[in-house]
Amino acid sequence: MKTGVMKNFSMNTADDDSGCMARLAAGDSRALHELYQRHGRALLRFSSAMCRSRQAAEDMVHDTFVALLRERISFDPAQGSVFGYLCGVLRHRVSRHFRHQKRWVELDTSDDSSQAHAVDSGGPADEIARTEITAAFRRAMLELPLQHREVIALCDLEELSYVTVAGILDCPVGTVRSRLHRARALLTIRLASLELIDLQGVPSPQRGLT
Amino acid sequence: MNDELDSRGPHPHIAPLLRQYARDLAQITPSSDLDARIGALVAAGRDNSLPGPRTSTRGFLPYAVAAGLGTLAIGIGIFIGMKLEQSRDFLAAHPAPAHESAWSSADLTMWPSDSVSFQIPAEFSAQGKLVAVDPNSKNTSTRYWIDVVVSNDGTFRIERVVPADSKQADSIQQGHDHVAPKIQ
Repeated sequence: MKTGVMKNFSMNTADDDSGCMARLAAGDSRALHELYQRHGRALLRFSSAMCRSRQAAEDMVHDTFVALLRERISFDPAQGSVFGYLCGVLRHRVSRHFRHQKRWVELDTSDDSSQAHAVDSGGPADEIARTEITAAFRRAMLELPLQHREVIALCDLEELSYVTVAGILDCPVGTVRSRLHRARALLTIRLASLELIDLQGVPSPQRGLT
Repeated sequence: MNDELDSRGPHPHIAPLLRQYARDLAQITPSSDLDARIGALVAAGRDNSLPGPRTSTRGFLPYAVAAGLGTLAIGIGIFIGMKLEQSRDFLAAHPAPAHESAWSSADLTMWPSDSVSFQIPAEFSAQGKLVAVDPNSKNTSTRYWIDVVVSNDGTFRIERVVPADSKQADSIQQGHDHVAPKIQ
């Protein structure tokens, strides 16, 4: 399972990434395309794990690169990798997206609700999950609070190191570990309630849950 | 405690689900639409004409316009106030001189507000004219008192001419309240 993107990066790639960021800060927009070609897919994976729809996930990735061009780049190679920095920018966009969504109330129209239900329920219309089981798993993931969802996406799905995740989330490594423990426990309980797993005979991870 | 939490790992039953979900996510590739949007972004960055962020610019624009108009109105108000204050200071520093007025205040006064009367001693000269004389000199002919009233509007008039002998009695009878300094 440990086939994460970051572990395959060589030192040259890291140097290239830093060079791209430096060129981007100098106003060379072609560096943005190189960054997109290297990290766009991984960013889209992370975004898809966080957002409900494929369209929203792609919008978040697009906004991340817009922010790279428009806003002042404060990347410091000593504080982490470029991919970690990009994940941090994307995470802020996702967080803002969900805050913005809270202001709106979805209209209960018959056509839209049926379509949305098809996507939310993880049925055949799900654009990301390919089987019914992973669709149900994805639904359980999306029901987690944002801070738990992101720590599972980064640690368990993207398989980033705790140090890298701590840099992305801007918190201590210990916080990442404890938050990951709670997130896994919540996910386990949720999956058990959906009858996707059987908790009998396995110690239940109740510690740390409130 | 953190190490303990760390060593547990995901629940053994959810680990396969996590792997399966990670595999599904790994199948995701950016759509051609996203590729095109990033390409347009790079081109716009090259031309220095970047599009705004997709999410919040449209909502932010009216507020930015309103804030700009408000700032402009405040600036205009401050500018007008400064100009008024400057003109007030200028008038205070350079008051209009009195001689520049077209009419003197005496000309504009319809009625004299104050006046003063004089008593001038006079005698008939050899030519038969009434001329002022020194009041301390001896009378060479019949002496008269000429009552003259000068008003503050510049007018001058002779009230009366009375013989010096009857002056005292006449003044008391007519009840004059004028200040009557005598010309020495």
